[in-house]
Amino acid sequence: MKKLQRIFIYTFLSLAAIVSIFPFLWMLVSITNKSVDVTQGRLLPGTHLIENMKTLFATVDIVPALINSAIIAIITTILTLLLASLAGYGFEIHRSRGKDIVFTILLLSMMIPFAAIMVPLYRMFGSISDTAPFIGIDSLGAVILPTATTAFFIFFFRQNTKMFPKDLVEAGRIDGLSEIGVFFRIYMPTMKTTYAAAAIISFMNSWNNYLWPLVILQSPEKRTIPLLISNLGSSYSPDYGVIMSAIVIATLPTALVFFLMQKHFVAGMMGSVKG
Amino acid sequence: MKKFYLMLLLVVGMVVLAACSSGDEEASGGSGSEGSSDLDTITAWAWDPAFNIAALEKAKEAYDGDGEYEVNVIENAQDDIIQKLNTGLSSGTTNGMPNIVLIEDYRAQSFLQAYPDAFHPLTDVISSDDFADYKIATTSYDGEQYGLPFDSGVAALYVRTDYLEEAGYTVEDVTNITWQEYIEIGKDVKEATGKNMLTLDPNDLAQVRMMIQTNGSWYVDEDGSTPNLAGNETLEKAFETYKEMMDADIAKIVSDWSQFVGAFNSGDVASVPTGNWITPSVKQAADQSGNWAVVPMPRLDMDGAVNASNLGGSSWYVLNVDGKEQAADFLLNTFGSNPDLYQTLVKDIGALGTYSPAAEGDAYAVEDEFFGGQQLITDLSTWTDEIPGVNYGLHTYAIEDILVTGMQDYLNGAELTTVLENVQGQAEAQLK
Amino acid sequence: MREQSTKKGELDLPVSLRYKETKRQKTGVFFRRKVGWLFVIISIIAISIFNFYPMVQAFLLSFQSGMGANLEYVGFDNWQRLFGDPTFIAALTNTSIYLLIQVPLMIVLALFFSVLLNDPKLKFKGFFRIAIFLPCVTSLVAYSVVFKYLFGIDGIINQFLLNFGFISQTINFLADPFWAKVVIILAITWRWTGYNMIFYLAALQNVDKSIYEAARIDGANSIQQFFQITVPMLKPIILFTSITSTIGTLQIFDEIVNITNGGPGNATISISQYIYNLSFEYTPDFGYASTVSYVIVILVVILSIIQFRVAGEKK
Repeated sequence: MKKLQRIFIYTFLSLAAIVSIFPFLWMLVSITNKSVDVTQGRLLPGTHLIENMKTLFATVDIVPALINSAIIAIITTILTLLLASLAGYGFEIHRSRGKDIVFTILLLSMMIPFAAIMVPLYRMFGSISDTAPFIGIDSLGAVILPTATTAFFIFFFRQNTKMFPKDLVEAGRIDGLSEIGVFFRIYMPTMKTTYAAAAIISFMNSWNNYLWPLVILQSPEKRTIPLLISNLGSSYSPDYGVIMSAIVIATLPTALVFFLMQKHFVAGMMGSVKG
Repeated sequence: MKKFYLMLLLVVGMVVLAACSSGDEEASGGSGSEGSSDLDTITAWAWDPAFNIAALEKAKEAYDGDGEYEVNVIENAQDDIIQKLNTGLSSGTTNGMPNIVLIEDYRAQSFLQAYPDAFHPLTDVISSDDFADYKIATTSYDGEQYGLPFDSGVAALYVRTDYLEEAGYTVEDVTNITWQEYIEIGKDVKEATGKNMLTLDPNDLAQVRMMIQTNGSWYVDEDGSTPNLAGNETLEKAFETYKEMMDADIAKIVSDWSQFVGAFNSGDVASVPTGNWITPSVKQAADQSGNWAVVPMPRLDMDGAVNASNLGGSSWYVLNVDGKEQAADFLLNTFGSNPDLYQTLVKDIGALGTYSPAAEGDAYAVEDEFFGGQQLITDLSTWTDEIPGVNYGLHTYAIEDILVTGMQDYLNGAELTTVLENVQGQAEAQLK
Repeated sequence: MREQSTKKGELDLPVSLRYKETKRQKTGVFFRRKVGWLFVIISIIAISIFNFYPMVQAFLLSFQSGMGANLEYVGFDNWQRLFGDPTFIAALTNTSIYLLIQVPLMIVLALFFSVLLNDPKLKFKGFFRIAIFLPCVTSLVAYSVVFKYLFGIDGIINQFLLNFGFISQTINFLADPFWAKVVIILAITWRWTGYNMIFYLAALQNVDKSIYEAARIDGANSIQQFFQITVPMLKPIILFTSITSTIGTLQIFDEIVNITNGGPGNATISISQYIYNLSFEYTPDFGYASTVSYVIVILVVILSIIQFRVAGEKK
């Protein structure tokens, strides 16, 4: 029985893994093929890899775009983790009627499609462009600011805080820690996996963000990776082998972040902290 | 308490500072050209590095005016330009907008009418008579000329001569034919070679658009906004022809651009009816050199229909922001009056303009080996002059999305007049 | 105030013993209340500036209509227009279908995966995790090409079904209104299950494993453990993923544009795609586009209230 269950689990997971990985593998295969082969969905590796890479690096400045994306994604993630966890913690641990109402209102902010608030937001950044160019139109600051605080992550941290043992907070207070001390010394280390999950998602969202960077950034040298890839496909006769190469390069950082962070998902961590 | 404040401020402050300073650094490292108040530099947006961007670069080299300013050419995908322009112009923020922008002809009226003060008229700058008539209609509004007509979207039928030959046809047999004749040939070609005659994308009615323009008709009335679908005989004919193609089973169904290009690159189809800007994509399959020819677009089998049509094509516009004089000066002294530039464009990047004085140049007469020595540019240029002018109006894509649904119903057996009445009603309801 | 806090506090110690410093003792609870707001204030300000202010602007826009910059107030015309707009109704219907089928399917799958992958005895855990997460980093371009290829007339799926005799004739999945929706639902589920799995995996770490040991000693099998321990313990996160997935699916855009572009006809168009079309694809009418956007807001609010109620979080 137990063995049968094992077999079932492994078969099921393997199937899921194959289905999940297949398009990714195809993406890897594509970068070795010519454009014509890519459009025909060729499944076998070709010999065009070096050529594709050469063309890619010769036609676009992919390295600056990677740097821009990295700057934006890292700062956004750090800001998001800090601000959202502070808020999620505050809303749950220091719960009050007033805060519950405010929290509910904050949730409203994630319900509107971004396209609907883009024009007013653009106008807002346009109006401060002259006085504060570092957060005005065509600045990385303007890309980061609206995305660094989102109700989504506040909600996420609050829901996780519900599972956080409240007596740890009391214990910390008794030990003489300040309120903020409790947060940094007790909450943060205990919730490591929650932070890891939020970091993965935040980094990924920021890395892949398209619409807002597109409208707010103007100079080519500030472009992020998704904007660069969009450009590559803009041609009347796009080279899909080269586009796929850019896409693969653009995908690796998120996969890497996931790989590094998922190590923190070790079962039963809470138990050890408690004991 | 104080400790809390301090820590919070410190951490947040540090991060924000880091964010800002890195942004700042990038900004100062940039070209600093995006500020349109900077009159030493003007900015131009266009898409496709091999085509429009290359054309702008050639224009910069060819500039022979006395203005002293830099032109900063920025490449953006077409959809990206549309989003950026719409967001910028509707927010009323000119900050970050370019001086010169390329807009597709189908969308021109939308932009001109949606943002009336945003564009700088070129009426006194360029001479409209120098450009193909059909381009002038789409690039002007309310008596003013706003666009400087650029590439011709002249449509043509690209055919595989080897496949035709196998089915017993010559290039003459497909020259100046009707769509009905085309379908008959298509059947024979399929029988002889097993290859489909063309690709069709059920979600993209470019085929229908090209068909109705051969008879000078469009989705909207002359006013550019009233839907003209129900009772539009040309459209009916186009729908019927489209269905005949489907029924004749001579079309390979594709669902996006890459499959469309893939189909002819891999030799799956015997012909490609489309805009002349496809030439570089066709030539991409170098092993097919000599097996292609280009003939005039088939026409609808109706009185008055001609063997010339258009698909896409775009024009340059000057935005009404600081630097507009320079932008207008640049356009005038390049695309607006320089026949030699057009020779270069044809020769070096295969971009065919609509500037009539350029047609006499040598470059237009060059023979293209890929197309069996055909004087391709001369031919295309001749057909350009015959394209019936129509007012594309405001709603090409909105109506087309509705029409796509109608076409589905029609192909599934619904009656044509009912279908067109339905789409007419839907279009009127949606386009208030 | 002090009495209140004693009731709330989980340690039944005399108040005087709970704080070592006398200064704190005096201001303790009141101070803590204030400090609670300090934790949340930056986020409140930032969200007000970057979300609520533009949201109010968008709300005002929803009562205006016109091309591009030529907007004028039309009262409730836009709202009326919604009901007579067949494209909007198609978009609303499609989106509702996606939501009803796809969200429950994905949540259950994600939960299931995360429990399997949380098993300390499972081998190749890291590999399985990254495999199931990979779809959400795989580029949409790659993934739409692959999906189109798989579900094409001569694609792998059709060949498979034919060879095993499930069908006698190939199905043109993407050109059929029913099957195109199925493909979209599969695509969204494929792409976002791993994403939701992350949230569960993280939350599972916070479940005290001694509870499972106790249950095992009591003779509970793994299915019982799943329903009696895991699901109740993860309830806050299940609620979180349900609401965010509801929002995500109601705003679904990328998958549809890339795989079917709304077709055949309007068979797969989503509300967000329609908003995009109204703003950028057609002659822009930002007023009407805002109205359609607020339909999403209203739907999410209603569905979220229901989900909060079902989860029993509002005591």
